[in-house]
Amino acid sequence: MSSLEDSLRRILAVEGVRSAALIDLATGMVVQSAGDEPAALPAIADSLAQEARAAAAAQGPQQPGGGLDEIALNTAGRLQLTKVLDARRPGEGLLLFVDVDRTHANPALATLRIGQAAPSVLA
Amino acid sequence: MATGDPADAVTDPVLRESLTSSAAVGLTGVLQVIGDPGGTVYLSGGEIIGIKTPGAPSLEVLVLKSGRVPEDGWEAAFSAAAAGTTMSAELITRGLIGAGELEALLRTAVADALFVLACGYVDQCRPEPGPVSVLLPLDPPAEAAWLLAEAERRMNALAAIPGLTGYQRARVQPAPGVVPADLILGGGRDELLALANGRRTPRDLAFALGRGVYATTLELGRMQHEGLLVTTSHRAPPSSLATPQASTAPASTAPASTAPAKTVRAEPAPATSEPANSEPVADHEPAEPAAASEPAPPAEATNGDRPGGHGLTRRRRGRHGDDAGADMSMLLRLLRPRSSGD
Repeated sequence: MSSLEDSLRRILAVEGVRSAALIDLATGMVVQSAGDEPAALPAIADSLAQEARAAAAAQGPQQPGGGLDEIALNTAGRLQLTKVLDARRPGEGLLLFVDVDRTHANPALATLRIGQAAPSVLA
Repeated sequence: MATGDPADAVTDPVLRESLTSSAAVGLTGVLQVIGDPGGTVYLSGGEIIGIKTPGAPSLEVLVLKSGRVPEDGWEAAFSAAAAGTTMSAELITRGLIGAGELEALLRTAVADALFVLACGYVDQCRPEPGPVSVLLPLDPPAEAAWLLAEAERRMNALAAIPGLTGYQRARVQPAPGVVPADLILGGGRDELLALANGRRTPRDLAFALGRGVYATTLELGRMQHEGLLVTTSHRAPPSSLATPQASTAPASTAPASTAPAKTVRAEPAPATSEPANSEPVADHEPAEPAAASEPAPPAEATNGDRPGGHGLTRRRRGRHGDDAGADMSMLLRLLRPRSSGD
């Protein structure tokens, strides 16, 4: 098993997590994924990367509030978290995308646990 | 042949068929891709563990140019790895890069290289079974079908940008008067604007900045669409494609005594093999690990119409031409705050 796959499986261990994926911010490529991933994951990944770039750009070039850390999307049944990992250069980095089933998890607790586990994904 | 034009956003059929058949038979060896830029695909059991092409930056270029790994750290790891450990293990145990990060970077570098091959010109592909030696093999390897699908996704994404044609050979420069000198664009665009001098192609800029070719092309395309950049000309296509000398080198030519590499035993090697070639490329030829941190010269400066030939010949430090030296100074000014932590 790859190091990344192993890392993503630890994210899957968080209660309510359906799938997790690592996405390259600059290209929108799915680098690695685990869990019950949607069939349209490549297209979703590309959209997420564009979304993250747009959100970062909305902060302005100086980013007075700091770089983009996380995007959270809530629907009636899902919590979709996109966390920025390894953003050493503007416009580059890796995104951790996590799809959480809200009917099986406390969204706030899931967010906390995912945030705690995220830094170890690339270690 | 894929030309990089929007209307031609499909991977080269010769490459596709060769990779697919190599995967189907579980090839362990190399697939020599003869064309422009051409390159070498390294396979183990039909899956891809590395790609070498003069058309895309190797992992070494990516991590050194971006400042992700310091050059002295890379050289120390390389020297230590020559004693028998793997380069990957040395980089990780020295704390230069995380295991997951390294795997992610290798995967993105391989995907970028295949994208470059897929949208280039492919004259022929020649499978050569045999032992494979790669300095930093992708582990676990990537499936050929996945990489081909990713290459096609990228080509379609570029094709969707209005007005972006012949992007592989397009030379770009800032649109006159559009960007004030004191304006900061952010998102990595300032570095691109600083280096887009009307002579560099996306590939040249990717090498200079240590970014992927696709990511660079995509950003240039967006900037061009927004009116920040203009295409000044297109580099001429190759007039002839005689031999794959610049982009291919049999795995057996790797210096076994000095190259810390993963070796995969394979089917018996064919009776004949490609003539030895000394073209050093980062992931496979570790003789000059430091040289890859230099900016790649503009294609026309070293190789005329055949940038896939000797355009990426690695040079020793301190041997820049005047133009490259000026570029390096500019790059250092741009990158120093991030790379040195100032």
